[in-house]
Amino acid sequence: MSMAMDQRAPAHETAKAPQGERAPARIRARGLGKRYGALQVFRDIDFEVGEREIVAIVGPSGCGKTTLLRCINGLIPLDAGEIVANGERVTQPIAGMAMVFQHFGLFPWKTVTANVAYGLRMAGATRAEIAEKVPYFINLVGLAGFEHAYPYQMSGGMQQRCGLARALAIEPNVLLMDEPFAAVDAQTREILQFELLRIWSERPTAMVFVTHSIEEAVLMGHRVMVLKGRPSSIFEMVDIDLPFPRNRSTLLHPRFAKLREHVWRCVMDEAQAAERELHV
Amino acid sequence: MSDAALPAAVPARKRLGLSDEALARIVCGLAILAVWEGAMRLWAPPFIARPSGIAVAFWPTITSAAFLEAAGATLGAMAQGLAIAVVAGTVIGLAIGRSWIADRALHYYVNGLFAMPMVAILPLLTLWFGYTSGARLATVVFASIFAIIINVSDGARSVPREYIEVSRAYRASGFSRLMEVVLPASVPYLLAGLRLAAGRALIGAVVAEFFAALNGLGYFILFNTRTFKHNEAFVAVLCLACFGVAVELMMNGATRRYLPWYRREDRGA
Repeated sequence: MSMAMDQRAPAHETAKAPQGERAPARIRARGLGKRYGALQVFRDIDFEVGEREIVAIVGPSGCGKTTLLRCINGLIPLDAGEIVANGERVTQPIAGMAMVFQHFGLFPWKTVTANVAYGLRMAGATRAEIAEKVPYFINLVGLAGFEHAYPYQMSGGMQQRCGLARALAIEPNVLLMDEPFAAVDAQTREILQFELLRIWSERPTAMVFVTHSIEEAVLMGHRVMVLKGRPSSIFEMVDIDLPFPRNRSTLLHPRFAKLREHVWRCVMDEAQAAERELHV
Repeated sequence: MSDAALPAAVPARKRLGLSDEALARIVCGLAILAVWEGAMRLWAPPFIARPSGIAVAFWPTITSAAFLEAAGATLGAMAQGLAIAVVAGTVIGLAIGRSWIADRALHYYVNGLFAMPMVAILPLLTLWFGYTSGARLATVVFASIFAIIINVSDGARSVPREYIEVSRAYRASGFSRLMEVVLPASVPYLLAGLRLAAGRALIGAVVAEFFAALNGLGYFILFNTRTFKHNEAFVAVLCLACFGVAVELMMNGATRRYLPWYRREDRGA
């Protein structure tokens, strides 16, 4: 690890804002709407994400969580409203944002090292920077020893560690997570959740975390955005007042069970109604 | 109890290191050679090619200056033509695969020309290039390039959307996306096209030599056949067949060596 990185860690510590603090916002979204032809996916979505805040988005499948995340990243255009991130209006992918993809999005013809270096190279990093940062982030996500492995030689969990390292390597101030642990098995998923929380507390950033797991949303988020309806909009923004750092003991917190139950009700009312409709 | 007797028969073959498959292949090959040899001895005049004659002619033929020169000319033209076809075909294929306009503009022409037998335009090529090695090179390029274009454009079209999204999310330029994402993702298709193109290139070279009387293996076969040296002609035919097998082996080797990731993406899934 470089000296520069060692010195940066305590700086985060002292500057650490009280939990739940929202200003200054890293992302401001106003009146977001998205249509696919005649199908209105979501509308009237307003929210902000603080500099060191994790906002988890949950909702029934098909509610447009992933579409919303892609709009935040600037990968697909909005039909209404605007997103300002890092003081810049998002119309296409901007610097300082990194996405972690559900199916990892690793290039199969590149080794772990080359995959992790990809984002840095595209951001115009010098050879020296790449040579310094890539091993650091490979190590941070626990992939030391697999530098020269190809994705096909690794398990899903390891591939997503690699995807995470690629995102972290550009040292983004906004991390976008698109159901990052949905494609790995249950045990690996738990391990990766706590790994991500550990890494986030070392290098806190703004994070938008899309998941279909209510438990995961409550575990990860400072706030949980519940998307619902057709077209969907924000049903409720749930404050998750659980202490940080979060770890396995968070799951045993009585407050955790209460919050999970609350979010579950928010999400499930409609899912159950839909089920009933199907059975009529 | 008859099962118990069976394994005893196996070790004799195993000692030779032969599998059942290899044994079947060898037996079948020998049978064909025997029938061929027998039939020729019974009914054919002595100058007609036969296994024993080919065996005798083999070494003197492949070490003769005439043969080596001919083989060099044919393989050289084939390699040169394939190189041109790979470079130009990849560029055109990427354009067709990634650009709507290029696709609409070229799709039917490329498919039409791919389906058309290149022998049909050989008379025209000899008019344009004369009875020269230029005509042969043009035939090889023409015979092989469309297989490359079609395969590469298929590959470029079917690059998984996720890879494109990753490169956009990391703000890659369009050129970098083409070179670093679309091109590598299309390489397996390029190799499949090259395999097809190599066979067509060899046919193109040999046919051009027949037609334009150019020095090469095609003409070597023609000349020896017409001078009643059928065994020598047949040695050249065998060599052409061997080139086909050699290309196949080289492709497989190159795929294993340079594209270890290919076709293993779904392993363990």
